[in-house]
Amino acid sequence: MIVGGCDVGSTTGKAVVLNETAILSHFIVPSTTKPERTARMVMEEAVKMAGLSSVDDLAYIVGTGYGRLKVSFAHDNVSEITCHARGAHWLNPAVRTVVDIGGQDCKVMALDERGRVLEFVMNDKCAAGTGRFFEAMARVLGCGLEGISSLANQGGSPATISSQCSVFAESEVVTLINEGVDLADIIAGINHAVAKRLSSMVRRVGLAEELTLTGGCSKNQGLARALEQKLGVSVRTLSQDPQIAGAVGAALIASEKVKA
Amino acid sequence: MDTEVRSKAFEEFTAAAGAVMNPEIAEWKEQGGGVVGYFCSHVPTEVLTAAGLLPFRMRGTGSTATELSDAFFSNINCSFVRHTFNLALQGDYDFLDGLVCVNSCDHVRRVYDNWKRNLTTPFLRIISMPKKVEDAQVGWYRDEVTLLKDAVEKHFRVVISDEQLWEAIRLHNRTRRLQRVLYELRKSEAPPLTGAQTLAVMVAGTAMPRRRYNELLEALLESLRGVNGQQNYRARLMVVGGELDDPGYLEVIEEQGGLVVADALCFGSKAMWNLVDEEASDPTEALARYYIQGQPSCPRMHGDQPRRVAFLMDMVREFRVDGVVGERMMFCDLWCVEHYMNDLDLKEAGVPFISFDREYNASAKGQLRTRIQAFLETMGK
Repeated sequence: MIVGGCDVGSTTGKAVVLNETAILSHFIVPSTTKPERTARMVMEEAVKMAGLSSVDDLAYIVGTGYGRLKVSFAHDNVSEITCHARGAHWLNPAVRTVVDIGGQDCKVMALDERGRVLEFVMNDKCAAGTGRFFEAMARVLGCGLEGISSLANQGGSPATISSQCSVFAESEVVTLINEGVDLADIIAGINHAVAKRLSSMVRRVGLAEELTLTGGCSKNQGLARALEQKLGVSVRTLSQDPQIAGAVGAALIASEKVKA
Repeated sequence: MDTEVRSKAFEEFTAAAGAVMNPEIAEWKEQGGGVVGYFCSHVPTEVLTAAGLLPFRMRGTGSTATELSDAFFSNINCSFVRHTFNLALQGDYDFLDGLVCVNSCDHVRRVYDNWKRNLTTPFLRIISMPKKVEDAQVGWYRDEVTLLKDAVEKHFRVVISDEQLWEAIRLHNRTRRLQRVLYELRKSEAPPLTGAQTLAVMVAGTAMPRRRYNELLEALLESLRGVNGQQNYRARLMVVGGELDDPGYLEVIEEQGGLVVADALCFGSKAMWNLVDEEASDPTEALARYYIQGQPSCPRMHGDQPRRVAFLMDMVREFRVDGVVGERMMFCDLWCVEHYMNDLDLKEAGVPFISFDREYNASAKGQLRTRIQAFLETMGK
């Protein structure tokens, strides 16, 4: 049975086409202002890549992400909490803690050995610890998101950024630039500030190895290293692009539901 | 016939819960009746009833902004007091003949201070409530109840005899008994009403003349007899928290398939689970004992959390609850650590628990939906 998972996020839409235990294709698009349109675009691309003729060829589709209620062609919708956990666990069965850092929310899930969520904690009330924050910082520093990821590794002494709020943190960063603080140290400071926030969320649900990152911001190597330092564990990688973990989880659940 | 009675009753209750003013209050005022507002579950409203007044529990229902009241509060005061006071500044509470505040928390305490400076409600009073639930505190509160009675007598030029107090106690207890019957119906596998509907019925009970309310509620209970209700739900939930008076919140939870079959809320079970002792020798003592010890405990009471969690566990067992949802208003001091402790204690007892922060008016529904959906999924429901 060929099924589909569609994760409609605030910044990107992700789709996965799954045939039993094989991912046939996946695709990522920037989100439009209409979740329905984003979902359709990304699902159609994924379906094309999988060599199918139309979205209707999929036996079952599960939608997830904040736009999940607007995906008219989905047969069901499941929370992104459950989907990210399932997806991450399937991609690396040793995973017991998932840190999802998305465009405008971040969450931490504690999993059991089957990839089922035991506990979760979310921040979806502000930009702290989300992609929006990194975008704003990349803009101020003129280094691009790629720079936030790679330049931080050279940072010897990360600058301290004390503001929890992204808006005030941006002001702090501008001050640091004007004081002539090294760019790499500022970037390291930004990653450390986010890692601090995420690590307190991890402690709320209880850290259990292995830990992995999902979501677009998980590609930020500077953040991953900072988080490792704060928690004292290694960040494990997944066998696919971590950004599609939610869509993978949705597709897996679609696979189960179509058999039920 | 029964469906007609039922829908008419739900309509009237929902309308009363959905606004501050309602036709029952308007008629009461027209007939020359006095209305006294009150904050919090601990004001001995029987005293007001005994004086021939209509007690009205204060809400910020219908308020969409706080730009008038924000000038009088700090940015760490909760949205409940800011919205309620905003309505007052707009004139929506001009129908009040009095207001009784209590030091339930520092946010409500400041409403009294602001009200005194800015509004001209004729009878304004703040009661001092103790912070523990031992017999000594009952003695203290008995004095406060007596002082309130004296002040009401003096201002409204009435006499409140012991017999009138007993009559008011019996009337309020009748309401509590009827409301308890309503809750018992939700123990069934197919409760005949939702949590949102129940909350509307409970809120309405604080917003209309009591005899009329009891009549309507009796008719509703009669029409619900033997009705088979909600069966297609995913899980049976209980909501725990404080000042939640908007059925809209429960609707968001129930839309996900989590039927709210029980609660431990100020407007909910807290208001009626136990009765004032009608066999006591002295009515002010009976009232003091009820409001300090008898009523299900409030997080403002020191050292009483074990009793509160025991109450939750009893409700979980009696109503066969699958999971407990804790709600907390942003900036609420009383409920923040309470839910942290609830989380530890309920988890230890094997009861799934989740808590969420909210503002007074039902914004951010998407975030609540996601959390509730995820909660149901983690329960495997």
